[in-house]
Amino acid sequence: MSGLRVSLHAPLDPAADCSALLDGNWTGLAPEALGRRPVAMPGRGDVPLAELAEVSGEPDGTIRLAGDWSQAVRLGAGLVEGAVVVEGDVGDEVGVGMAGGSIEVHGRAGARAGAAAPAARRGMTGGELIVRGDAGAECGALMRRGLVAVGGTVADHAGVGMIAGTLLAFGDVGPVPGLWSKRGSIVALGRVAIPSTYRFACTYQPPHLRLLLRRLQTRYRLPVEARHLTGFYHRYSGDLAELGKGEILTWTAS
Amino acid sequence: MNINDVFIEETFAEAFTMRVARVIVTARSPRWVREAALKLTGFATSVIGCKIEAGIERELPERETPDGRPGVSVLLMTMSKDDLPKRLIERIGQTILTCPTTACFDGLPEAPDRLGVGSALRFFGDGFQSSKVIGGERFWRIPVMEGEFLVQEKFGMVKGVGGGNFLILAQSADAALAAAEAAVDAMAGYPGIILPFPGGVVRSGSKVGSRRIKSMIASTNDAFCPTLRAITPSQLPETVNSVLEIVINGTDADAIAGGMRLGIRAACREGVVSISAGNYGGKLGPHHFHLRKIIGGAA
Repeated sequence: MSGLRVSLHAPLDPAADCSALLDGNWTGLAPEALGRRPVAMPGRGDVPLAELAEVSGEPDGTIRLAGDWSQAVRLGAGLVEGAVVVEGDVGDEVGVGMAGGSIEVHGRAGARAGAAAPAARRGMTGGELIVRGDAGAECGALMRRGLVAVGGTVADHAGVGMIAGTLLAFGDVGPVPGLWSKRGSIVALGRVAIPSTYRFACTYQPPHLRLLLRRLQTRYRLPVEARHLTGFYHRYSGDLAELGKGEILTWTAS
Repeated sequence: MNINDVFIEETFAEAFTMRVARVIVTARSPRWVREAALKLTGFATSVIGCKIEAGIERELPERETPDGRPGVSVLLMTMSKDDLPKRLIERIGQTILTCPTTACFDGLPEAPDRLGVGSALRFFGDGFQSSKVIGGERFWRIPVMEGEFLVQEKFGMVKGVGGGNFLILAQSADAALAAAEAAVDAMAGYPGIILPFPGGVVRSGSKVGSRRIKSMIASTNDAFCPTLRAITPSQLPETVNSVLEIVINGTDADAIAGGMRLGIRAACREGVVSISAGNYGGKLGPHHFHLRKIIGGAA
């Protein structure tokens, strides 16, 4: 078997800060070294990963996280390298401030996926965060670069304060997306209510979306349909209360 | 050596190192791919007068293009590495950016030398341009009246070879042209090569310099002009009344040799007397394509 594999013995309870697990350079770590990395458990302090999970495999730049990680907070925070796969759900703030590499969550993600770390002025600065299920509130908040793609729905205040970058949702997008966005792109393939501070620009076929969607289709097997590739999109510019160079692109059948 | 009673001369084509970029152009339909490609490669036969040599490498089916639309692969080549980015910016800016529905991508993603093309063209957006990083590559979205023009930020550059060639010596102009057309058809789509001249064929092969004007860097190849047979040191057999040249540029010598092999075999047909090649005695170009070795299977 190639790559690292971490299987939790039991769900984290209560929610634990996992931001140190994949911090900095981790892709060359042997299982023993990764097992020494700490998980911040409320009431217990820093606990070595190896006490909570079985860590196995050989380093090749990838890692698979099995078991129940739904209470894992800030997993992949500041990620700079490697491909991370979470086989189920994940907790809040997955991929906050990530700068490179990829995180693929097969289940749901909690609030503030790909957003900014606490007190940080910007969120993701690079990399790809893929959530196959639904994503919680403030997904992609303060993004500077990079991609967040959500296979399901996205809750309220998605992309709040986006500086740039792309947030794409296959499902519906919750209330007030893109608030205070400067140059960010929100792509809604499902339903979305356009905020009042966005203004309709045109209906067209954004050429870059074909590239992006084809990548999501081939690399991550996300459910891209022909209508997404060949269809038209309404473009709304905003947030006009901010710089106004951001956009919400909504797929349209007509 | 003979092929179909056509004599293959014991000589070689002499070629030069050039710098190459491969540009992928896509568009909504084959019609607009073709229009864009023809403009992009227009007036690009020889660096002698065009500053660049360019040609269509091959048409690309939708499954082979970055955005899943019809496309074409174009090679553009210059003598100096400093010239290539300038020519790319000029040509893509004037012919692809202007052409309806097109997008433009790098076709040499593995090349370590990267040229800022999209990063220069973006300024046409007058501050309204934006970029997206997709799969680790940055693309510029330039707003245009039609919608948006998408162009990759950087294009790869590699060393290539320019000036591979062979000469078709025929009994008549009709026979020379038919043989040249057959050769071009045989080489069409061969990966890694372009034929930068009109229809892939040159009727005005040149020699270095001029007998009369010192400032001229090239002039007619009088040794192969049938009308001058009586008054110059002609290299034409008596039965030859017309000569056409096929010039082949490529990403590497092997590609050129492979293309020449196909082309020469196709050109060896009725009415053709011999196949020769242009060289400068081997003193100028580092790449020598010996016709008989190529026909035998080795470059």
